[in-house]
Amino acid sequence: MKLIEFVRERRWVPVSGYLIYVAALAAGYYYNLTFVQLGLIDLGTRLVGLPPGTVSMAMAALALLTLVVAVTSGVLMDRRGTSADLYAKLRLLFAVVLVQLVLTAAAPYVRSPWQFGLWVAVCALPLGVGIPVTFSFMIDFVPVRDRGYVAAAVAGLSFFAAALYPMEWRIEEFSAVMAAAMAPAVVVLGVLSLRRVPFVDALARQHEAFGTGRFCRPEPIRTTSATFWGLVALMFGVFFVDSLGFLRIIETPIYIYTSWQSPEVGTRLFIAGVHLVGAFVAGVLYTSFDRKWLFLWVFGLFAFTHLQYVFHIRFGSDGTPPLLMPMFYVLAVSFYTTLNFALWPDLSTPETVGTHTALGVGIAGWLATFLSTALALYSEGIGLPLLTHLTYVNALALLLVVSLPVALYVHRMVELARGVSAS
Amino acid sequence: MKLELIPLLILALLLLSAGGADVETAEFVIEGDHEVTDHRGALIVGDATVTVPPDAEVPGPVYVIGGELRVEGTVAGDVTQLAGVLALEDGAAIEGRLQHVAGTERTADGAVVAERTAVEVTRNDPGPVAAYLPTALATLALALAGAWLSRRWPTLLENVGATARDHALISLTVGGLVFVTFLSVFVFMAFTLVLVPVSLLGLLLGAAAVAYGVVALGYLVGRRLETPRVGLATALGVAVVVVLLEASSAVPVVGDLLAIGLLLTGFGAVVLTYFGLRRFEPVTLPE
Repeated sequence: MKLIEFVRERRWVPVSGYLIYVAALAAGYYYNLTFVQLGLIDLGTRLVGLPPGTVSMAMAALALLTLVVAVTSGVLMDRRGTSADLYAKLRLLFAVVLVQLVLTAAAPYVRSPWQFGLWVAVCALPLGVGIPVTFSFMIDFVPVRDRGYVAAAVAGLSFFAAALYPMEWRIEEFSAVMAAAMAPAVVVLGVLSLRRVPFVDALARQHEAFGTGRFCRPEPIRTTSATFWGLVALMFGVFFVDSLGFLRIIETPIYIYTSWQSPEVGTRLFIAGVHLVGAFVAGVLYTSFDRKWLFLWVFGLFAFTHLQYVFHIRFGSDGTPPLLMPMFYVLAVSFYTTLNFALWPDLSTPETVGTHTALGVGIAGWLATFLSTALALYSEGIGLPLLTHLTYVNALALLLVVSLPVALYVHRMVELARGVSAS
Repeated sequence: MKLELIPLLILALLLLSAGGADVETAEFVIEGDHEVTDHRGALIVGDATVTVPPDAEVPGPVYVIGGELRVEGTVAGDVTQLAGVLALEDGAAIEGRLQHVAGTERTADGAVVAERTAVEVTRNDPGPVAAYLPTALATLALALAGAWLSRRWPTLLENVGATARDHALISLTVGGLVFVTFLSVFVFMAFTLVLVPVSLLGLLLGAAAVAYGVVALGYLVGRRLETPRVGLATALGVAVVVVLLEASSAVPVVGDLLAIGLLLTGFGAVVLTYFGLRRFEPVTLPE
């Protein structure tokens, strides 16, 4: 690892870059995992009193708005050279966190539907801008060789924290935790971004060495290329399958109160620990193998996990579900989250990282998650049985497992037909 | 779930299907304390404590493969004990047949068993030689396999051994992931009954791969002897590895973790090298 070299050589500036990246991304992802994805549902349904169908429409609207803002800001960042300007990105992040702090503190006081709608619309702005800004930090702070492990650290830590705290998935709890964490972050970001600091000057030059991603050598990946959009489609499928299944599972007491929301600290600690282990394993796989293996593992794990849930609902729903089921779910989630953090910067250069991260995370992550969330809420609203719902999810996961090797095989066939020599 | 329960679970599922019971309603209780009052199908008691309370009646069949089954009420069908503890309290009734194969059984005077069969196993206190005989035989078998392989196809062991040595973290990671995933898949397959043969085959193949990994690690150790008699060196190396694995189990937790880590590293190297058919090289990353 380059990090070990930096520590041995006592080069503390790049080491501090790792720490800033992990802290910023882990905190941001924890915010999205808890406050936005789970807190917003609680806010809409419990405090505002909206029916699940209306909340699902609001979630879909938030997804679309976030996507539009993310892509617009990502493209603008690349065109104006902001993607390669660390100070400019830190100032943007300062503004993003400041707005999110206000929104977070205000959330528990939202009571009427129009207030909820306004809150959602405003929330999309910092979320959208935050995507290209935070994800593109990878090119400033983390050398290519260590990206798998650093992405694993971000995924593992954010899921570890989310699995253990807060105990109740309620907007009031989320709001208190987030506001307390954001206030000092705003101060630190203000100090780092609004005046020149020597060590930030040194960090700002690192993208010259670290900036070109793993998959952009020797030729950079173009935004219009089939490679880029193929990966966007694959990640969209991963996020969609995860969210579509999970949102119904967490609404089922027998599954959620024996795992993610178990009153037993040991059970939650087990899940948090599996997140850490899973992320680390994903980091090792990402660093050592071609990306297709990680995708295959993710789809395979999801297919097996949903198969277990379907099997359990059909044959064994009287008994306590074994922890093996959430364990495999957690493994799959940790795998693809690690992949998500490392993949988009590795498909980019300092000139394209804004657009690529915005499109990748925006479409594959946000759009898929929120569309599937809306669909899951809708299926619950129309009374679709859990077994039927998870059977659909399982079918989708199996389809993706099969499609990936078939697509790779066809791709190879096309290469051979075009006369490209075997690699 | 304890690994040693897996063969017993598969055996219980085989007995269940052979007995014509409806496997779709079977429940496998893996852990925790449970009180069963109205379960409608077969019950398999794993590493858990299951109680049938005084006024309850469960239809059976019930298979005890670990943990404890405490009967205070009635089991209408058969009970088969393959391991674990079976406690029949006062007032308990087994209206079917109680088949005792192994494990501990406690029967109160007031308990009623309609029919009882037992597989008598005469157990002698093993002497020091007999206690270590299975390990010694396994070591001998692995050492012979290692000696033969290292003389016949040394490249296979060289590839696996070099991967385990040069890429230990990747081998351990891949070994752990493949082991946990495929073990779960094979156990899951056993529940379908149709796939029990595939499940058994998979478990055997997995055990063979783990053994192959031990042989490859033994080959690595043997090479340090720097002797031209590669077969003998590998056999001695395998013996050293097995002794190391046995000795490490004497240290609680840390020793077990070390032993598991070593086995998984060897197993992962076997997987990564396609059983030694090629050398593993991770992707090259730029600085």
